[in-house]
Amino acid sequence: MLNHTDFDLQCTDLVRQFDDFTAVDQVSFAIKKGSFFSILGPSGCGKTTLLRMLAGFDDPTSGDIFIKGKSMIGVPPNKRPVNMVFQHLALFPNMNVSENIAYGLHRQGINKVEIKHKVEQVLARVNLSGSGQKKISQLSGGQKQRIAIARCLVLNPDVLLLDEPLGALDLKLREHMKVELKKLQQEFETTFVYITHDQSEALVMSDQVAVMNHGQFQQVGDPQQLYFQPDNAFVAGFVGDSNKWSATVIDILSDSLQVKTTTGLILYAQKSNEKAFIIGSEVEVFIRPEAIHISQVSTAKADQNQLTATVNNILFDGANSQLLVEEQTSREEIKVKLPQTAEFIHLKKGDNLQISFPKQQVNVFPKLQDK
Amino acid sequence: MMTKGKSKTPLKLGLLLLLCPLLLWLVLLVILPQLTMLNISLQERIAPRIYEYGFSNYIEFFTEPLYWNTFLRTAVMSIIATVLTLIIAFPISYYIAKMLRGRAKGLLLVLCLIPFWVSELVRTYGWMILLRESGVVSSFLQYIGMTEGPIEFLYTDATIMLGLVYSSMLFMVVPLTSTLESLDDSYIEAGYDLGGNGLSVFWQIIVPHAKPAIVSGCIVVFMLTLGNYLTPILLGGKSSLWFTEQIFTQFITRFNWQQGSAFGVLLLSISSLIVWLGLKLSRQSFSKVMS
Amino acid sequence: MIPSIPQSALFKSSFRLYAFIFFAFLMAPLVVVAVFAFNDSMFPSLPWHGFTWDWFFSDQEPMLGLFHDPQLYQSIATSFLVATCTTVLAVALAINNAFLFERATFRGKSVLYMLMLLPLVIPGVILGVSILIMSSSIANYFDDVWAIDIELLRPGLALVVIGQFAFITTICTLIVAARLRSFDLSLEEAALNLGASKLQAIRTITIPYLLPAIIGAAVISFLMSFENFNTTLMLVGSDSPLTITLYDRLREGATPVINVVSLLLMLASVVLALGNYFLTGRKSTVK
Repeated sequence: MLNHTDFDLQCTDLVRQFDDFTAVDQVSFAIKKGSFFSILGPSGCGKTTLLRMLAGFDDPTSGDIFIKGKSMIGVPPNKRPVNMVFQHLALFPNMNVSENIAYGLHRQGINKVEIKHKVEQVLARVNLSGSGQKKISQLSGGQKQRIAIARCLVLNPDVLLLDEPLGALDLKLREHMKVELKKLQQEFETTFVYITHDQSEALVMSDQVAVMNHGQFQQVGDPQQLYFQPDNAFVAGFVGDSNKWSATVIDILSDSLQVKTTTGLILYAQKSNEKAFIIGSEVEVFIRPEAIHISQVSTAKADQNQLTATVNNILFDGANSQLLVEEQTSREEIKVKLPQTAEFIHLKKGDNLQISFPKQQVNVFPKLQDK
Repeated sequence: MMTKGKSKTPLKLGLLLLLCPLLLWLVLLVILPQLTMLNISLQERIAPRIYEYGFSNYIEFFTEPLYWNTFLRTAVMSIIATVLTLIIAFPISYYIAKMLRGRAKGLLLVLCLIPFWVSELVRTYGWMILLRESGVVSSFLQYIGMTEGPIEFLYTDATIMLGLVYSSMLFMVVPLTSTLESLDDSYIEAGYDLGGNGLSVFWQIIVPHAKPAIVSGCIVVFMLTLGNYLTPILLGGKSSLWFTEQIFTQFITRFNWQQGSAFGVLLLSISSLIVWLGLKLSRQSFSKVMS
Repeated sequence: MIPSIPQSALFKSSFRLYAFIFFAFLMAPLVVVAVFAFNDSMFPSLPWHGFTWDWFFSDQEPMLGLFHDPQLYQSIATSFLVATCTTVLAVALAINNAFLFERATFRGKSVLYMLMLLPLVIPGVILGVSILIMSSSIANYFDDVWAIDIELLRPGLALVVIGQFAFITTICTLIVAARLRSFDLSLEEAALNLGASKLQAIRTITIPYLLPAIIGAAVISFLMSFENFNTTLMLVGSDSPLTITLYDRLREGATPVINVVSLLLMLASVVLALGNYFLTGRKSTVK
C-alpha cells in the first residue's frame, strides 16, 4: 500500500457507474500534500463526477477515497475535511461577504469574537480587507472568486476542490485570476484539486496535471511532461496546438520511423523504445507549430525533416502569429509558428519557404480507437 | 422636424384608442363601484327614504359585539389558515422542486393543480360527503369499530379550517415550487460542504431564498380566505360566523345596504392593509407579487 | 435534502409518506364526488346500494336523471351563455391592455398597471356587491328622475357578466401581456421592412404569436366564469347559472344528481385545463 502520510488525497480504483454508462472508470491517484493538482479533460469526460465524489455529493460504485489516510466512504459532505469552490461559486445572496465567510465557522460552533477575527484575517489575505459589509451583488467577478475561495480556506480544509471557477470570467480577468489562484495556493499551502477543460489554466497553475478522457486518466504528469512527452494520441492532441495527420508506417530504420500521411507527405520520426510499430501500422502523427523552423534558404542538417512549402495564409495574432503553408509535393497544409522578427516581416502569400524540424519533435502514436 | 411631428400624431391617437377601453372598464367596473360603496356606507337613515351623511353604520359595527366579533374571528381564522397552508405546502413544494426529477416532477405538479380547475362548490361538496354525520368518514369509523354511533364532523371550526386550507393550497404550492426550483442545487451543496446540516441549510439558505414566494403566497392566501364565502357557509353552517356572510345578510336578507356597504368597506380595508403590510415588510412591489 | 446529499432512509420514506397523504387529501373530495354519482340511492352517502346510471338518464321521479331535469340543464345553458359573453369581452380587452402596457409609453403607466391589478385584491363578494350598488344607484336615478326602468341594470345575467368581466379581465391581461413581453420586436420590424403596414404586421406576425396565450386566456376565462360563485351570487336575478342552482340544491339536501353534474363539470374542466396546459405550457395556468 502507499504511504498515507505524504498524501492529502488518494483514490484507489474509483468507479462510478450510471445505468449503462461508466462516468469514472478505475481511476487511481495520489496527491502530494500542498500541491496544485489539475484534472484536465473535455466536457463529459467524467471530471465533474469525480470531483463530486471527492466532495461527497456522489458515491462511488466501487473503489475508495482517502483524505489524510482516512477513508471517506459513507462520510457525508458536511463532515468531510474538504471544501469546494462551485462552478458558479454559490455565494449565498442573502448574506453579505462576512456572513458568507463566517457561515462554515458558525457551523463549527466557534465563538463570535474568534469568527470575527478569522474573517478579517482571511479577507486581508485575499486582499479584500474592508469589504466585509458589502453585498455579494456589489462585488466584481474577480472579487467574488476570491471570496468563494476565502469562504473555504478559512475552514482550513485538507483539500480544496475547485470546479472550473474561472469559466464564467472574461479572458483578461481569467488570465489574471490564474496567477492569483496559483499565488493563493502557495500562500495557504493547501492542496488544491482543480478541474477544467481549459489546458492553459491547467498548465499555468498546476504542479501535476491529470488528463482525463472517457472516465479514465490518460496521463498524469507535470505540465512539461504532458506537453513534450505525451503518452498517447489523445494527450498529444488535447494539450497544446498541433499539426495532426493520419499516416501509415512505411519503413523502420535503426533509430527512426518513416511515415506517410494520407496525402503522401513523408516524414521521419524518432523511434521510441516503448512503442513498437510494424510496417503498415495505422498511426497518428503530431508536430507542434512552434517546433517547426522556417527560413528563406535551405539549411539542411542531418537528422532533420526538410521540406519546401508555399505560404498559403498569414494568421497574424501578435506573438501567437502562425503561417499556413502548403508542402509542395503532397500539398498537405502545415501550421507553422511565425516569429515576429525582422527576417519575416515582409513575408507574403505565395512566397516559398524552407521548413525543417528534428525527428525528435515528431510524435507518432498508434491510431486512437474512437469509442 | 416634419417627420417627427407627423409620426407623433398617429401614435397619440393609437395610445388613446388603447387607453379608452381600459379606462372605461377600470373606472366603471372597478373604481366607481368601490367609491359608490364607500359613499353609501357613509349615509345614515334618519327617516324612511331620507338619508344624511354620518358614521352611524361604522359606529353600529363597533358597538354591536356580534359584528366585530365576527370580523375579528374571520381575520384570526384567516391568519391561522394562512400559516397552516404554508406549513403544509412547504414540504410538498420542496419535494416537487428539489427531490423529484423529470417526469414525476411534472406529473405531481399537475396533480396539485387539478383540484383547482374544479369548481370550489364541487370541492366543498366533496368534503360535505366525506364529513357529514352520514358521511364516508363517519361510516368508516363505525365500520372499523372506532366509534359506536355516527359522528358529525361538519359545522365545527376545525372543519372550516380544513376547507379553507384545502381551497388555498394551490396558491401556496405553485409560487413556492417555482421559486424553490430556481434555487440552484449548488447553494444547498455549498451549505453542506461548509459544514452545515439539514437544519442550518434550511433556515439560512432555503428559507431566505424562498422568502419572496412565501410572502406573496401568504398574501394571496390570506386575501382569498378572508373573502371566502362558500367554504365557511357550507362546512360551518349556521355557526360559521364569517364576515362575508354578514355582508350577504345585510344586503340580500335585511336589505340594509348602508350597513352592508360599511361592512364591505371594512373588509376591503383590512384586506388591503394586510397586503400593504406584507409588501412593506418584505420590500416587494405589488405588481411583482400579483404576477 | 436533495439527491446529492446523503439522507437516512427513514427521512426519505417519511417524506414520501407525507407526499402520499397530501395527495390523498387533495384528491379525496373529488373522488367521493365522482363515486357517489353512481350510487343507486337517494342520498350521496354510504351505504353503497349498487351501481347505477339512473342519476344520468332516468326520467322517473324521484330519481330524476340530469338529462331529464330541466332546471339543471337550463342553468347549464345559462352558464354557457354567461361564460361565452364574459370570455369574449375579457379576452378582447386583455389583448388591448397587453398592447397598451407592453408597447406604449406614457406617463402614469405604472400607476395604471397597479390599478389594473386591483380586482385581484378585492374579494369576489365585495366586487359583486359594489357593482350591485352602483348599477342599482344608476337605475334608481333613472327611475326617479325620468321614470325609466332600465332592466339591464337590475340583478340579472347582464350584471353577472359585468361582474365577472370586472375581475377576469385582469387575469387574462396578465396572461396575454406575459406572452407579448417575450415577443421579439425585430420580427415585427422585419415585417415592416418587407413592406407590411403597422396593422398588417401586427395581424400577420404578432397576433399569430400571441395566439397560444389568447387561447389560454380564453380557456381560463371560460372556466373561471363557469365556476364563479361569489360575485355571481350577489348579482344574480331570476335566471340562475349552474353554480347558483347547485348551491340552492345543496342547501335543500343534495341527491346524487348533484354528483353527476359535478362529475361532468370536473371532467370538462380538467380536460379543458389539461389541454390548455399541454398546449401552451404551464406558465399560464396559475391563477
